[in-house]
Amino acid sequence: MSTLRYVSAATVLAAVFVAAWLLASLPEAGRSLSLSVLLGAAFGIVLQRSRFCFYCIARDFIDRKETAGMYAVLIALGAGTLGYHAVFGAFLPVPSPDRLPPGAHIGPVSLALVAGAFVFGVGMRVSGSCISAHFYRLGEGALASPFALLGAGLGFVLGFATWNTLYLAWIQEAPVVWLPQQLGYGGTVLLQGVVLAALAWAVSRRGGAKPVAAQAATSPWLAVLRDRWPPAVGGILVGFIGVIAYLRIAPLGVTAELGSVARTVASSTGWLPGRLEGLDTFAGCATVVKSVLLSNNGAFVLALVAGAWSAALAAGAFRPKLPSLKDIARNFGGGVLMGWGGMTALGCTVGTLLSGVMAGALSGWIFGAACFAGVWAGLRAVRAPAAA
Amino acid sequence: MSARKLLLGVFAALATVVSFPATAQHAKYLVTTEWLEKNLNDPKVRVVEVSVNPGLFERGHIPGAANVSWHTDLVDTVNRDIAPPKQFQALLARSGINADTTTILYGDNNNWFAAWGAWIFDIYGIDNVKILDGGRKKWEAEGRPLSNSAKIQTAGTAQIKQPNPALRAHLQDVLAVARNDKQGVLVDIRSADEYNGKIFAPNGVPELAVRAGHVPGAVNVTWSKLVAEDGTFKSAAELKAIYQAAGVDGSKPIITYCRIGERSSHSWFALRKLLGYDVRNYDGSWTEYGNSVGSPISNPSGTVWGKT
Repeated sequence: MSTLRYVSAATVLAAVFVAAWLLASLPEAGRSLSLSVLLGAAFGIVLQRSRFCFYCIARDFIDRKETAGMYAVLIALGAGTLGYHAVFGAFLPVPSPDRLPPGAHIGPVSLALVAGAFVFGVGMRVSGSCISAHFYRLGEGALASPFALLGAGLGFVLGFATWNTLYLAWIQEAPVVWLPQQLGYGGTVLLQGVVLAALAWAVSRRGGAKPVAAQAATSPWLAVLRDRWPPAVGGILVGFIGVIAYLRIAPLGVTAELGSVARTVASSTGWLPGRLEGLDTFAGCATVVKSVLLSNNGAFVLALVAGAWSAALAAGAFRPKLPSLKDIARNFGGGVLMGWGGMTALGCTVGTLLSGVMAGALSGWIFGAACFAGVWAGLRAVRAPAAA
Repeated sequence: MSARKLLLGVFAALATVVSFPATAQHAKYLVTTEWLEKNLNDPKVRVVEVSVNPGLFERGHIPGAANVSWHTDLVDTVNRDIAPPKQFQALLARSGINADTTTILYGDNNNWFAAWGAWIFDIYGIDNVKILDGGRKKWEAEGRPLSNSAKIQTAGTAQIKQPNPALRAHLQDVLAVARNDKQGVLVDIRSADEYNGKIFAPNGVPELAVRAGHVPGAVNVTWSKLVAEDGTFKSAAELKAIYQAAGVDGSKPIITYCRIGERSSHSWFALRKLLGYDVRNYDGSWTEYGNSVGSPISNPSGTVWGKT
């Protein structure tokens, strides 16, 4: 039985490698599309194996005082901060006052960011996962997740519809705060390191419940292929993949392609305002109207699902289950909230929180705090049992 | 030797002699990727990247290259003008360019904005400026080395000269040609659909004019006709033939334009540097002309802004 699992997991992974190999030969964009596929698959494997799901982590911590996941997130942010700043030193030797590192997810700090992140947090609670986790759950056979992603698409369209109003009221004049401009690279790394350590201390103070006893692996193979990876391993790998992705292609993000598809569909039906003021001038999970079939982000997300699928097959965690109507409705509704929140905040837990904090963006920290508050409020207000 | 072969030989020799000056122009203003790689460590060679897409330079550029952002470094954002002298002087210093430096410009999108850079370098009288033939596209396709470490150069000492007005056309210069008050040829380098007024601007383009069409009398020679598949400029003889077919032979002063004046500097470079014609670039281009009050246009398609 396990042989069959391993063979099917290897087949999925082989398909990913073949896709990367075929894409590499395309002129001009081929190299980065190929690398996007490889990084996406690696990210999917790491998310699935280490259960790096922002909602589950926050819920486990708030409701059950479990700390392992929180440590994983803090470790990912710490590892990524170190790596990002090493890259910045090569890209922009001196952090200049009128220039931002290219493509880094450093967004405006405004009430719209707070509102978007909070609603995103509530949406996570309602649908049972954040957007990146819905992608990796898709690889585990979660048949309700497509409805969450569909809902997120609709949420994006609603976000586009409200964008111009929010942009003119709050976003246009909001400060874009990149910490190295104030503190230098060394100062930023030091400050973020201290804040992350303080958060780790606070987490350890609150953590009460004993961590779930890890199943002792009988062999190194099983430790990798079957058992959950230790949170620290997941955190370090997420940080590592984030840095490589930023160095070679763009910061990690999982909503750009989803947003682009939503924008392209809505534009062609005439539902959107003719102009989305200033939207395309921001770095972040930008949502351009699609002009090519396969973008780097699209390739990344598809490979993420495939990577998670392969990891789930190997671990015996691929268990497709038909969702109930209630599950579908909840996933879809949560997806709508996440779509609106993610669009308004210019990204989600991966794009704005992970990639933003790693880059020393104040917007990343604000997103993290508001999103956590949203999950907390959601847990208090929404009684629906979590699917995850 | 048969008479036919002899005749062919004579023709070939004649063609070489006739095209010699222009071929020499190619060698004077373009360098090959091979040459550049061999000369990268020459302290008198300075490489400058001017790309359209932000983020390309940082993720990999020709080793030692300086990064120039056309949005901010090469324009005056307040006056809608080219970079003012002080700003351009500072850019030269930052890029490490001295009086005896050979500056090699290159960029993405077939060197569109590298050519815009070359135009501004020329306006400020900086000598020894060349373009890497094929730009980033060819360099990458050939798998030549890239670096992602930005280098801080020792400040360069090259001094700019008074801006040369003979390289730049303003609205009144274009109007004078359009109204036949002055002799000249206008070369519109945009797509045929823009030239004919079928569309106001290509999809996704934010810079617009409220009228579609072209300046009366302008001929349409799209910039893309000037480059080969690998992004290199076509030979002088080919370029000459392309323009000749459109009635542009260098006998009259030429003005090039596009939508905002950057792509047209690519055609300006071909006409002025590679063919040696008298050419000015109109950087106001269609966004200025098409919006300016009292300027006649030619719009074969008859499109009217806002009319459904």
